Amino acid sequence: MTEANVSVTRGETVSVPEGWQPHIVALVCNWCSYAGADMAGTTRLEYPANVRMVRFPCTGRMSPLMILRAFEQGADGVLVSGCHPGDCHYVQGNLVARRRFTIFRSLMDFIGIDLKRLHFAWVSAAEGHKWAKVVTDVTASVQEAGPLPRFDRPEGWDGIDLPEMAGSGPQELDSDQLDAIRTHLRKAASEMLTGGRVGVVIGYGAGTLPDQTAPIFITDAAGCEKLEWGHGCRNNLSTYVGSALEQHERVAVVAKTCDLGAISGLIREGQLRREHVSVIGVQCPGVRDGSELAAKCLACSGDPHPICDFVVTVDGVHESCQDLSTAVLDTPDARDKQIAHLESLPHDQRWKYWQRQFSRCLRCYACRAACPLCYCSSCIAEKHRPQWVSTAIDSPGNSTWNIIRAIHLAGRCTGCDECARVCPADIRLDLINRKLSLEVERQYGKIGLNPEEKSALVDFRMEDSEEFIL
Amino acid sequence: MSRVGVFVCHCGENIARNVKVQQVVEASRDIPGTVVTADYPYMCSAPGQQMVIDAIKEHNLDRVVVAACSPQLHEPTFRAAAAQAGLNPYLCEMANIREHCSWVHRDTEQASAKACQTVVAAVERVKRARALDPIEVPVTKRALVIGAGVAGIRTALDMANAGHSVVLVERQPSIGGNMSRLSETFPTLDCSQCILTPLMVQVSRHPNIELMTYSEVEEVTGYVGNFTVRIRKKPSFVRAEDCTACGDCVEVCPAPGGNEFDMALSTRKAIYIPFPQAVPSVFTLDPDRCLNSKLDSPTGFRVLACVKCEEVCQPKAIDFDMQAEIVEREVGAIVVATGFDLQLGKQAVQLGYQRSLDVMDGLEFERMLSASGPTGGEVRRPSDGKVPKDVVFIQCVGSRDPEHGVSYCSRICCMYTAKHALLLKHKVPDSRAFVFYMDIRAGGKGYEEFVHRAMEEERVMYIRGRVSQVIEEDGKLKVHGVDTLSGRTIEIDADMVVLAAAMEPADHGEIAGKLRIAADAHGFFKEAHPKLRPVETLTAGIFLAGTAQAPKDIPDTVSQASAAASKGMELLSHEFLQRDPSTTHVNDALCAGCFECLQVCPYQAIERRQILDSEGVLLREVAWSNPAMCEGCGLCTVACRGGYINLEGYSDEQVFAQLGALGPLPEVLER
Repeated sequence: MTEANVSVTRGETVSVPEGWQPHIVALVCNWCSYAGADMAGTTRLEYPANVRMVRFPCTGRMSPLMILRAFEQGADGVLVSGCHPGDCHYVQGNLVARRRFTIFRSLMDFIGIDLKRLHFAWVSAAEGHKWAKVVTDVTASVQEAGPLPRFDRPEGWDGIDLPEMAGSGPQELDSDQLDAIRTHLRKAASEMLTGGRVGVVIGYGAGTLPDQTAPIFITDAAGCEKLEWGHGCRNNLSTYVGSALEQHERVAVVAKTCDLGAISGLIREGQLRREHVSVIGVQCPGVRDGSELAAKCLACSGDPHPICDFVVTVDGVHESCQDLSTAVLDTPDARDKQIAHLESLPHDQRWKYWQRQFSRCLRCYACRAACPLCYCSSCIAEKHRPQWVSTAIDSPGNSTWNIIRAIHLAGRCTGCDECARVCPADIRLDLINRKLSLEVERQYGKIGLNPEEKSALVDFRMEDSEEFIL
Repeated sequence: MSRVGVFVCHCGENIARNVKVQQVVEASRDIPGTVVTADYPYMCSAPGQQMVIDAIKEHNLDRVVVAACSPQLHEPTFRAAAAQAGLNPYLCEMANIREHCSWVHRDTEQASAKACQTVVAAVERVKRARALDPIEVPVTKRALVIGAGVAGIRTALDMANAGHSVVLVERQPSIGGNMSRLSETFPTLDCSQCILTPLMVQVSRHPNIELMTYSEVEEVTGYVGNFTVRIRKKPSFVRAEDCTACGDCVEVCPAPGGNEFDMALSTRKAIYIPFPQAVPSVFTLDPDRCLNSKLDSPTGFRVLACVKCEEVCQPKAIDFDMQAEIVEREVGAIVVATGFDLQLGKQAVQLGYQRSLDVMDGLEFERMLSASGPTGGEVRRPSDGKVPKDVVFIQCVGSRDPEHGVSYCSRICCMYTAKHALLLKHKVPDSRAFVFYMDIRAGGKGYEEFVHRAMEEERVMYIRGRVSQVIEEDGKLKVHGVDTLSGRTIEIDADMVVLAAAMEPADHGEIAGKLRIAADAHGFFKEAHPKLRPVETLTAGIFLAGTAQAPKDIPDTVSQASAAASKGMELLSHEFLQRDPSTTHVNDALCAGCFECLQVCPYQAIERRQILDSEGVLLREVAWSNPAMCEGCGLCTVACRGGYINLEGYSDEQVFAQLGALGPLPEVLER
């Protein structure tokens, strides 16, 4: 019935109270599944009484936040059911929803929710028998999974050792080389300002500590001397482009290759216009977290990407600007090994791992502040009527916050890892975002750097995969 | 605080057998906001409904929940009752404790617990429901019909005859479309022009039809009931109101070229009437053929090298300075009837097309058969003018052939090929006709008999097989084919070969783009539902007629045209359109302008709106949901990450409350 999710259940002990019955919430679409359930009733088929129905116009109306709320309210299982692809009353609601569900389900699996609890089905208005069977099978499945584990920091648990991440990282640059790059960069920036090409250059300036930088906004040629370059250039400066554009018609921004996806994303999502931004790509020695090379750098060459308007290397500055429609962001990733390891563990271990992570969350939203693609004027976490994301610093709220942020970034995040870097609680946000990037890529193909290309989760194909759908 | 009334139905034994109605009534009393609870054997009966009405009035209820059967069955019933009592119908909900509960769960304890919880959730939902009124959209009482072939003509006439004002736009100088090119139509062998021309004349004379020929739709804005259409009237350089169609100009015009109406089998002058029965019967001057220079001039002529037509025109109708004119019309409904073209596909050349003059497609042969055609109705080889004796007809050239053409069947070719073979035999009695076919599709009325007539009476030889190639040799066309029924290859030395080409939509995306309606992979416009809504599109107010929607013959085209007219008239019969108020609303104070909502909307209901400051400077662009177009699917509400879009009737608040009410009840767990 459900796809073979490779998670070996090694000696899991679930203590279930005697006579326990699962509580299941079903989100159903009005035109097909609700009517199909009606038909099961008219046919007087019998099925378990554990399911509670919530009617929607379409599966397209069903948000992951609703599924999360069902779990938070104590449901042990959730069933989502709608029209067969091609039959949606609203043409494509279920097709868009199918991608949303695929990604959401893979995330739930990753954080340790037993997929025996989360089911998706296509049941048409004529399929009364199918509805009865689906409910029966889902009830049995959730019964097997047992009561939903608590959203709680695990006590007395040794934790998991994640494998070391390997990679040589970018080509080392010695101090002479870095000096050369700095000189070229300052000159290029200065020319852009004197030529009136841009009104401000956003770059890295000296920070308060020797190996740190801080973003600077330079509006005159002389100020370009303050531009720095080195291991401390960690921020994703594209976060600042939006506000800089409020003051200046055109801006230049210094970008590492890992920052570029954000710029493309911002253009794609109407937050920036391409002609208002000049991107200066710079040869990067890799950013360091303390003395360690950041995880994202391990598999990167450090070479500036040809889609930048200008490319600064040891040898100098040259204009580039490759055609965006052919641009590919090649991101092999050292973190994939850790993700694979987590995926090999039984779900209760994963659950404990992630609950321990989420329990540390302070809801400071530094991750959100650092992320260039978190530009919403008012975040879903700030929505109080209704309050989908509980503001209490408790595990359900923390889990929902981190899950929904990851879902909102699925297909958009390109792994700059700023969120993980700035998190004061050291939550491995980079793993979650990378996991969803991998899933989107696996299912729907890589999203390139071309802003004309539709983002994966607002698009659909009839032939999108659905092996997990009943 | 709401005043909710909860009414629980027994439905005779249907609910009461497995659900303890009194338990449900008791549970309802405890729900905050419930002021009235009651039960009744048959809530949907007259006294049952009256009970609800009376309770609303007596207890000043502002919300009602009826716990009974499926809302799919009786929601309209109870909503009407609520309305009768003066309560907004959208403040009445149903809780399904029959189809989803008593009818499917035998255990009374479990069924009752589920019923109680279902009612609780319904009450929480209805407390957050808002009074809604159907959205009224005013309707402009005029229709636009794009395309004036037989489909457009029929649609326009039906609507005009019913008293509606119609604007009929045709891009060619004359109306009539492909049907006016036909000589005779199957299966009756009616003269095509004879049956079409009266309709064409009716159109030109109809007081309710504004006919714009040689015109194209430039832009369409607005939405159902309120479209604004900009139409470009191309300059014909002949003032229609003055032209008497005397023909003096055409005699002196020195510029000849191919005649498109005759599929380039004959010539016409630069100044021309497309065919004798053209409507309107006025001349058009083709700027691409006219000898006058048109350098540096987007329209009209800069240098007049030849003014012969102007010189001889007695009514002084020639106007070399005529410009294109853009006119604007407000319409409530639009019918798309843009018709088809023929497409031979990649195999055509292999079958001799364009290599030999004597290989032609169906429409070209049709012109040859026509009495008003290039040969006056005689069948003659274009190469040497001789009458052919052996003619091979090849079906499915480009159709049913995904590798070289299109995958679909073009539907009319079996019939017109039989017709062509039959007419050939009538005109050249000692000729031989061979038809290479894959299948014979003759499903219409009298169609099968017609094909048999060709086979049996006229002794047309039908060969089941395909043709690999046609090679011209010594003035003959060697047709290399196969006869699958005998399993042998066949070679025929033909004098002429006619290819039954595929039908493809004449519109290549221009109209689809302007109207923002969907087309399938082949370019045929998408109907709202292939079985149940074949003449509507998913864009409210826009309808389809004829081969623009899918390949079909004339009877089906005319039927569909009348159907489209009927749908259009249904729309225009209202002063105001009532649309379901379950629509979305964007909080534009918060909208960040990412427009992912716009990208997922199936109905193009989301528009970009500009927010300007007091000096008119653009601050930002935000999304706006058009309630006249929104169908209430809610895709946008989830696409919006910030949660700035809400859906009436299934609002965030309602869903949130329902989910909150559906957590496990302790009583249920402990058994």
